[in-house]
Amino acid sequence: MKKAVLAACVAAGILGMGTVQVSAHHSSSMYDRDKEVELAGTIKQFQYTNPHSWLIVTVVGKDGTTVDWGFESEGPSSLLRAGIKISSLKPGEQVVVKGHPLRDGRPAAGLVSVAKADGSVLSPDAARRRGPGGKPIDAPATP
Amino acid sequence: MNTVRANTWAAAIVVVWTFVATMASAQEYAKWYKQSEQHFLELKQKAGGGTKLTWDKLPDWTGIWTRQGGTRFDPKVPNYDPTTAKLTPEYKAKFEKKLADHNKGLEWDSLSYCLPAGFPRWLTEPFLREFVVRPEEVWWINEQQSEVRRIYTDGRGHVPEDEAYPLWTGDSIGFWDGDTLVVHTINNKEGQYNRGQPDYSDKVSVVEKIRKVDAVTIEDDITVYDPLSLVEPWHVAQRFVRVSTPNLRINMWSCEENNNVVKAPDGATQFILKGEKGYRDPDKLITGPEQAQTPKQ
Repeated sequence: MKKAVLAACVAAGILGMGTVQVSAHHSSSMYDRDKEVELAGTIKQFQYTNPHSWLIVTVVGKDGTTVDWGFESEGPSSLLRAGIKISSLKPGEQVVVKGHPLRDGRPAAGLVSVAKADGSVLSPDAARRRGPGGKPIDAPATP
Repeated sequence: MNTVRANTWAAAIVVVWTFVATMASAQEYAKWYKQSEQHFLELKQKAGGGTKLTWDKLPDWTGIWTRQGGTRFDPKVPNYDPTTAKLTPEYKAKFEKKLADHNKGLEWDSLSYCLPAGFPRWLTEPFLREFVVRPEEVWWINEQQSEVRRIYTDGRGHVPEDEAYPLWTGDSIGFWDGDTLVVHTINNKEGQYNRGQPDYSDKVSVVEKIRKVDAVTIEDDITVYDPLSLVEPWHVAQRFVRVSTPNLRINMWSCEENNNVVKAPDGATQFILKGEKGYRDPDKLITGPEQAQTPKQ
């Protein structure tokens, strides 16, 4: 796992489905929702903040250079509803992160999921499974 | 001489036309406002003037709630799809341009300036909500921007017209019809129902019937009146569901805490990323140097 995590990789492809972030604060048109990057790296910082949280991950390229990637996600209360606590992602942890990249090629993406070294996977999309009785909160509404 | 006379006549025609147009518009606004007010007053009359609730009779709306159906004003229709609102030609054209711009990647939201959502958009904001129900007043708290919408149920009327001005959450008065809170809201700022949805004018007014339909659901039956954007009142039903996540609380929500969203010169939404010029580090907002934000060129 460690070896796999340390080997930084970028995979971009067309996806049949993507998560839809609840972003009340800004447009998400800067993200390419048809593409997904998958990056292995080390957590540098977890900004557990409003209006959005940012996970900063240092990624080592094949040539040995490092790049800090920013993964944007929802604010603290939405993440908590998805089971992502401030203590869930700590600086120095090795992770594999998936996200929808910026269209302009800069190193940032809308967070889709984080795979931790212990095998667990965190996803902000889980927020929508935290309604009463386990019912999806953002499912198509009842007429 | 003839030219002067012609110009005088032309000026007079313009003045008269402007006067007539203004009067017509004022009458149109008045008619719609009257319709909205009439709707509210009829409901009040049917309720026998409303139920005077005492502390022991207040409905239990405690707990934390959130929107069902994302940020759609009409939950039946996804954002960026054709709306169920019957729009006037001007607002229909605006909406079509908004969708076309979005398809080109051009979309900007005033919320990104950290401005409040405004009402009735306020109803579509996701995240957490809470109700504080008192006999004379209901507070409807929205986590986003830590906004509180105050609905007065003590029998007062709206703010007098000569003191009224557009407000972020409007001027809301209401009454109880049994366990249903009926609300009339006027004096709103112009805005949009949400991104990918139409705009409304500052002449918008709203009648709501809010009721807890079961232990985990509060329903808001909404009728929107707006003489500038709608050709007929828009009726939708929105639902708020109870959230049961342990240890969840509504905390102070500061939009400036970590906002590095900027408007690009072409009108698109963009970020300033950590390490780039103008980035405002959330860890250094209080102690760090002040930096002007500029979009990346």
